Amino acid sequence: MPLSEPITPGVVDWTGENPGILLKNDDGSFSAMALFFRVAWSPVGQGQVLLLYASPNEAQGSAEAPNIILSDNDELSHYLLENFIGRLAAFRDAPAFQNLTHLVAQSVHSSGDPMSHRYSETVAGEGYTVELVWEQLEAPRALELMPNQVGSGIHTMYTVLVPAQQAQIIVNGKSLSGKLGTRVQADFETTTAFLYFSETWIIPPGGD
Amino acid sequence: MTRQSINPGRVDWSGENPGIYLKHNADDESYCLLSLFFRVALSPYGKGHAAIVLGAPDEAKGWPEASNFIMTDNQRMMRWIVDGWVTRMPTFVGRAGLQHMSWLNLDSVQRQPGDLKTDYREILRGSGVTLEMHWSNMGDPIPVEVTVENSATKAHEMYSVFLEAKSAAVTVNGTQLPGSVQSRQFFGRTMSTAFLAFSETWVTPVNLQG
Repeated sequence: MPLSEPITPGVVDWTGENPGILLKNDDGSFSAMALFFRVAWSPVGQGQVLLLYASPNEAQGSAEAPNIILSDNDELSHYLLENFIGRLAAFRDAPAFQNLTHLVAQSVHSSGDPMSHRYSETVAGEGYTVELVWEQLEAPRALELMPNQVGSGIHTMYTVLVPAQQAQIIVNGKSLSGKLGTRVQADFETTTAFLYFSETWIIPPGGD
Repeated sequence: MTRQSINPGRVDWSGENPGIYLKHNADDESYCLLSLFFRVALSPYGKGHAAIVLGAPDEAKGWPEASNFIMTDNQRMMRWIVDGWVTRMPTFVGRAGLQHMSWLNLDSVQRQPGDLKTDYREILRGSGVTLEMHWSNMGDPIPVEVTVENSATKAHEMYSVFLEAKSAAVTVNGTQLPGSVQSRQFFGRTMSTAFLAFSETWVTPVNLQG
């Protein structure tokens, strides 16, 4: 619920869409991880970025299970890696983070309906076509989170969360293995497959 | 007021909603041009794009007699947004042009971002109309979170990121519509009447849900 002061103090770091899918092995470790960014404003411009750890526990991915960052704005990829993804422990601490292959995205498109049954993002470039699919979508919720409630630990964040009960990461037509898990965000238990729309990351006054 | 991390209200729609309002002269009471662009990512009626142009806001005429039209690729969604939001906005309330604007089909939308400080364009084509909305000389992004009392509709909460544009223009089929950007009061600040609005979400509070 908004506060009575309409203008939020702080500096906008970036704003846009930021859905993701985290798949797990039976032992609870991650088997595959993907984040997609459709950035409407950042200090380095607009753009679309897909981060894929198909082999999160390997420093070097394979052709079938690559660790890649696929983008139509390379400067934005580096900005997000250094200022945002590198602050998310689950991504920063994975061996895959240290040796990502940077690739150019030649096409990006979304399909489906986030308030219906299915939504997807498909990113293609340099020999890879990666499709992220979310299904069994829940109703959207507006979230307002403080620095102690977000993964980066330094931002105030507004977003619209659409949880998904089913999801797939498909690389060149092959679905990566793993199951969805659960996670807790602001005391709300949800899944590790999520759409985030209209997401704004703000560095509060005196922040990093 | 205490912040609630998970807003208990109903998310109505979310997306982008920039605008350009122009006057002939700074001391004119009325705008001579009202325009809004919509890139909706999420709504009960799906996704879609639209632009409303009222080049003659107080004339009860549609296109092509007057430049009063809406272009959209999702008419059902925009009928809902026009009725629930646009008609409640003070700038649009009672405007004859809004009631009589023509509904045109939209075939394509092309976003042409510059460096987000100097230049930003949305170009829409359809029904024999090419519309270009052009914002330039932008300020820094301003995050806003608006209560029902402060919101334009007085019926919703709203989150957004605004960037004011010091200048802007609306061109229809190659002809720039008259008027220029002016100043207005915006949450206690003097800002221009042209703005980009990213990551905008409208929420109906629990106590106002029908």
